[in-house]
Amino acid sequence: MDTIRVRIRRFDPETDQAPRYETFEVPRAPEMRVLDVLDYVHETLAQDVAYRWFCGVKKCGTCAVTVNGTPKLACWEPAEAEMTIEPLANLPVVRDLVVERGPCREGLCAIEPLIQRTTEYPGFPEPLSHRAMARAGHLRDCILCLACHAACPVMAEPGTRFAGPAVLVNLAEVALDPRDGADRARIAETAHVFSCVSCYECERVCPAEIPIVRDAIEPLKRLVYRRGIGEGARHARLFLDSVKKHGRVNAPQLVLATQGANREALGRGFRMMARGKVNPVRSLLEGRAGGAEALRKLYEGSEENE
Amino acid sequence: MHDPVSTDVLVIGGGAAGAKAALTAHEAGARVTMVVKGFLGKSGCSIFASHLPYYDESTQEKASDRLRYAVRYYNHYLTDQDHVRRMGVYMRTEFHAELERLGVYWLRDEQDRIFATGPRVPTVVVHKQGASGPIIMEKRRREIFARGIPVLEECAATALLTDGGRVVGATIFDYRHGVTFPVAAKTTILATGHSDYLASRSTATREQSADGVAMALRAGAEAANLEMQWWHVSDMAHPRTWMRIHVYPNPLLGTPESSRLYNTRGDVFYEQKTHSPGSSAPYVEQARRLALEVQKGLARWDGGYFSGYDHIPADVVRTYQHQAKVWQKLGLDVGRDRLECGITWHMRQGGLNVDAATMRASLPGLYLAGGIGCHYLGGVGPVSYDGKVAGTCAADEAHGRPAPALPSEQVEAEDRRIFGFLRHADDGCLPIQLKLGIRDVMWELGYVKNERKLVHALQRLQRLRDEELPRMGLQSTSRTWNSGWLDALDVTAMLDATEATVRSALLRKESRGPFYRDDYPVTDNEHWIARVVLWRNGNGWQSRIDPIPTPHLKPEKAREPFFEADY
Repeated sequence: MDTIRVRIRRFDPETDQAPRYETFEVPRAPEMRVLDVLDYVHETLAQDVAYRWFCGVKKCGTCAVTVNGTPKLACWEPAEAEMTIEPLANLPVVRDLVVERGPCREGLCAIEPLIQRTTEYPGFPEPLSHRAMARAGHLRDCILCLACHAACPVMAEPGTRFAGPAVLVNLAEVALDPRDGADRARIAETAHVFSCVSCYECERVCPAEIPIVRDAIEPLKRLVYRRGIGEGARHARLFLDSVKKHGRVNAPQLVLATQGANREALGRGFRMMARGKVNPVRSLLEGRAGGAEALRKLYEGSEENE
Repeated sequence: MHDPVSTDVLVIGGGAAGAKAALTAHEAGARVTMVVKGFLGKSGCSIFASHLPYYDESTQEKASDRLRYAVRYYNHYLTDQDHVRRMGVYMRTEFHAELERLGVYWLRDEQDRIFATGPRVPTVVVHKQGASGPIIMEKRRREIFARGIPVLEECAATALLTDGGRVVGATIFDYRHGVTFPVAAKTTILATGHSDYLASRSTATREQSADGVAMALRAGAEAANLEMQWWHVSDMAHPRTWMRIHVYPNPLLGTPESSRLYNTRGDVFYEQKTHSPGSSAPYVEQARRLALEVQKGLARWDGGYFSGYDHIPADVVRTYQHQAKVWQKLGLDVGRDRLECGITWHMRQGGLNVDAATMRASLPGLYLAGGIGCHYLGGVGPVSYDGKVAGTCAADEAHGRPAPALPSEQVEAEDRRIFGFLRHADDGCLPIQLKLGIRDVMWELGYVKNERKLVHALQRLQRLRDEELPRMGLQSTSRTWNSGWLDALDVTAMLDATEATVRSALLRKESRGPFYRDDYPVTDNEHWIARVVLWRNGNGWQSRIDPIPTPHLKPEKAREPFFEADY
């Protein structure tokens, strides 16, 4: 019989010192999803395996787990012949595959996730342009499954203050709403939007196929940049100015300008210099890169477009 | 047991009805506490909402179409027609507005007009087809958090507490932490829904085990028309978890076209515009047509028949993204391939007995909101109206009442019951196996019912109760997020609710809408436009038949053969 071999990470905080893995053989059923495999294990092999789901059809967003290293919606993705299933990363584990969603809920509440109207609601149907509403079109597909939160390397940093891609998708959704009048730039800055390193891992794993970086994070960064608030915006401004002036990023100047000549920055600079990663003398002395003039024109063009 | 919580209004259930009830009671100045078995706005069936009715009653004709749709096709005359009118006013003047004010985007067309489908009973969607439910419920969730209403999530209400027949709160099982606590409430609103996972194939969400019906029955409340159970016909046969995906039988947004059903031989046996032109709720008609195919051996209840859009240009279907993506995910072509279907237990038209004017249940202190009531089928809009009525009346009654004392004996007895399940199975059976057993009884009972099958189902349920239930135990006795422990509680609720459903079915001696008995194959409007009211009396059951008035719309025929009726 065609079977699926599934290794499930188990952890019961009351009896286990550390997570352990248990392997099960599950007979394959037609069009089987990852969730069907977990259901089979629960119903037949290990009743006490803890995993969360409600709707089973990509609406509630509560069944995301890590399958062979990638966060996935269990109800949506096909079962693979060999699977290691683990809880979502970057969230505390409650038991087995069940994670604590509280941190994301708090992050979401902190961004004031409902539109704030500056004018009185005129009554249904209010005048709305479908074009204006389409700016946040993809973002409305988010079901807060937290796959992106689990895939984000910045969320894995201990002590990170980054609100994470899931929260930012929902922030952008209200920020791009023509009816919203809240100070979304300040809220985005408080959510540390510039901590995003644009690695696109969130987009790779999003089951709703939301272009998270392009449609949510970049527009939020632009909002903050234009308002010129916070370290992130300052860094972005100096980065752009550096490229505009030199035709390329002048790393030592950028570091000096954003972080100042503090001991930590200087220490790191010397270490990088010793390993040949940077050459501040050349950077400071060299002239503009070739094509800098063409680049300046591009700048002017894009500023006009903005 | 943990410290009791005290509140003015306790709302049990976190779907559209519970959310609106909590918001309304809170606006009225009451202290509100919500208890949700899953997550507010994520568990429960409100997230399945796709097309929402758009109440255009600008002409007499449109208003009468609307009434006919709600009374005849949606509720088979088993609704409170005055309630339908009052709810219509809310739907016309408040529902869409209150969600739009909150930021919900009702889809516009190229001319920026509200995108409505269906000329007779138009429907609208949020953002795009298939997306309405999750978006509406996420906004509600945020609204409730923004108001600071306490929401206890992953907490199951297990029993209603009563004092001299009056409901004074409930006991709560927090399965995340493995603790229990009572809530003392001046008034309690039950909003646990109408879509329960009681048969092997069901559209319900995982946590829906008829807790509301079961705990109300145990507290002495009346149920009504529990047997009026809808089956969905065009739901996917595979994969199993996608039995909750419905190949939508109504017209696609902006077109008159809809999916078709094909039997084993590939013959069309159902298409909305041909077989139920007057109805935009064709589900009962689909089921009747399927029953005939099954009779001929050209389909099975769990497969062997198909649905698809291959008669419609693929680009038209692809604009209906929600459905096309299902095909795409399975590597199929929506313009060419058909999906195998099976029926699923979908929702209950009946529920607990209720006075729809106040949403009071038959026990003082207890209110209902949404599909749990017997007054109307459901839907995110209509149940929001229930929430408004229940929230208003429950807050009003709570105002000025003293905080109730908790009946400590009941609290302690419920605590013993809950912790009594926390024992190893040894050689006994596991709760999930009992759940599967109960679902199998109801699946075997299925669509075609008669006295012999109903009595057999009762016997099977009794055997599970007598022989399996006492031997039930768990694999793990840890207290943290122990789903087996929660399953054990579900089993007791499911046994009570399914038994009541079967008993109610034995009492209705006719066939109507989704309810078919081959020993009474006639829709009998003379005797059975009525509530089959059922309640517990000690260890036994009592019942009565209450006629339902038909002040605004009466059926044309006194009696008609079930397979000739169109509602």
